[in-house]
Amino acid sequence: MYNAGGGRKSPPPIEPMKENMNPDDTQLSALLHQGRVSPPLPPRFQESVWRRIEDAEATVPSTPGLSWLDALAALVLRPRFAYATVTALVVAGALLGAHQGAQLAKQDAQARYVAMVAPNALR
Amino acid sequence: MNRSLLVVLGALALCATIFAGSYFVGQRAGAVYCVNPADDLSWLRAEFHLNDAEMLRVRRLHESYLPQCAKMCALIAAKKAEVHAVLANETNLTAAAQKKLTELGELRAQCQGQMLRHFIAVSQAMPPEEGRRYLAEMEQITLGSHEEIEQSMSDHAGHEHGTN
Repeated sequence: MYNAGGGRKSPPPIEPMKENMNPDDTQLSALLHQGRVSPPLPPRFQESVWRRIEDAEATVPSTPGLSWLDALAALVLRPRFAYATVTALVVAGALLGAHQGAQLAKQDAQARYVAMVAPNALR
Repeated sequence: MNRSLLVVLGALALCATIFAGSYFVGQRAGAVYCVNPADDLSWLRAEFHLNDAEMLRVRRLHESYLPQCAKMCALIAAKKAEVHAVLANETNLTAAAQKKLTELGELRAQCQGQMLRHFIAVSQAMPPEEGRRYLAEMEQITLGSHEEIEQSMSDHAGHEHGTN
């Protein structure tokens, strides 16, 4: 590991073992499965899992308001729903505003014209 | 506070802001697009669908009418000042005050006649159907206010008589 000058010799670069990284290698998968030690399940494991599931489901009807609100919040946070809502609001607001603006401007312009040709003192 | 409630409230506030902003921008754009605020006759063009030639005729009539209107306004204002002056010095309605009131009424009638002649001339510069609509609307605006006042007065008098 030392060169002739007394300095430390740098190790050669490690090349990755490409053949071992193939996920389709069935032999390697089988070996890995055999080598994995699975601890024994605690007693009445399945029963306790089902009980926890049932308990979780049983708590849902007790808070119907929360579930409704959660569902609405989840819907609001969906990007597609958010984009659609924003688009609809922008279009509806702009159309309604343009209509109202046109009406107001027409009324204002009419009032200006009438005030010019028929002042209040004459009417 | 519940996270879902915060999300929903925030979304509602954002929706309200977006809608209000769009409404405001749309309103401004609609107002600018509909009529030109710099042109006093833009309402006529937009409302009665006048082309350039018709607008030119209407504009000439309008410009020739305005000095006459201003002159009549000045005469009426002067006569009103005379009426006020006469009434301010008297506790009764004297013959002089009655004369001034009659003169004021005659001036107003002359002015209304001149105004109606102008409206008729403008209506004739428009397409026939639009001209009829314009004339009806102008008559309603300029003469209808008197009718409304008189109608309300007669209704009020009728109620009073009914209660007696």
